[in-house]
Amino acid sequence: MKRLAILLFSLALPCAAAAADYTVRPELSRLGFTGTYQGAAFNGSFGQWTAAISYDPASLANSKFDVNVTLASAKTGDHDQDSALPGVDFFNVAKFPTAHFVTTGFHQDGAQVIADGQLTLHGVTRPLSLTVLFKSQGGAATLDVAGVLKRLDFGVGTGDYADTSVIGADVKVIAHLQLAPK
Amino acid sequence: MSLRSNDRQWGSVAKFFHWTIALAILGNGIFGLLMDLAHSPMQKINWLALHKSIGLTVLALVLLRVLWRWGDGHPREEPAPRWQQLGARAVHGVMYVLIVALPLSGWWFNSVTGKPLQWFKLFNLPALVAKNDDMRGFSHAVHEYLFWLLILVLVAHVGAALKHHVFDNDNVLRRMLPFGRLRNGSTSTGDSP
Repeated sequence: MKRLAILLFSLALPCAAAAADYTVRPELSRLGFTGTYQGAAFNGSFGQWTAAISYDPASLANSKFDVNVTLASAKTGDHDQDSALPGVDFFNVAKFPTAHFVTTGFHQDGAQVIADGQLTLHGVTRPLSLTVLFKSQGGAATLDVAGVLKRLDFGVGTGDYADTSVIGADVKVIAHLQLAPK
Repeated sequence: MSLRSNDRQWGSVAKFFHWTIALAILGNGIFGLLMDLAHSPMQKINWLALHKSIGLTVLALVLLRVLWRWGDGHPREEPAPRWQQLGARAVHGVMYVLIVALPLSGWWFNSVTGKPLQWFKLFNLPALVAKNDDMRGFSHAVHEYLFWLLILVLVAHVGAALKHHVFDNDNVLRRMLPFGRLRNGSTSTGDSP
């Protein structure tokens, strides 16, 4: 009986251990956002960001995402937007150079895994949940996450720019990560 | 006053199109030239959005006007030397081309800059061409110079209308004026007085 307990415990051990750690392959990964301006969607992405990913679908309790984003690296391809985004009315990168997202836990919604976390952007920290799509192939994996934030919750685009009939209230955050085992 | 034009004067629909489009194009043209007076980037964004919405409205009105004109006909030409009649027809033809080309060139300019095109915040229209930063200055110049060209032709148009009204005492202007009353007799049958 004691032996059996030890055997079960040793079988369960890998599950209880920390989830697998991954390194991001930046050249194959993308962190972006989709906003709306005058009724049309526009896409942007960040050129500089880092992510520490520990993930195991069988051990969500031990999984963790920790992401740092250099806000000055945001690019939409539109000259006006790219010159406005770093400014005081939007990201204010001089005062708040980085955004930070860290998970506080994961939960299952049907078949869908949701990462719950805290996003710090523009000096404001608020909860943000992301849908998680994780596929592992051998040791490597791909991770796709998506979530929606309200830009005004974080004070991004205030004053004149708070008019959500011109600049949409919702901003979708999307990331596609190609992961290599650590 | 009937909706349709007759032998002697323009109908109220033709008059509506003529004066609405005239006011909208002139007003929107001047508005467009004053864009840089906006005191903040957001005000300029809103002004430009309004300018584009008015321009699209003009384009729709012009297309409706052409359709209407096609089915409506027009009053008989007032007696005038042959060269004046040909000149009037040429000026009218050029003006029709310009009032279509002016909003279309704005749409083109907007497409080249890659900006959205929204009608009074209600719905969006597609781009005519792909975004192209190299064409930005050129398409803007075309849009602006088409307006100046229209003003130039407008001087001839208004000048001729006033000449008919003041010196010839005929109905050329009166038959297009809102609530205008025709002078009786002189040219109603199209014969020389």
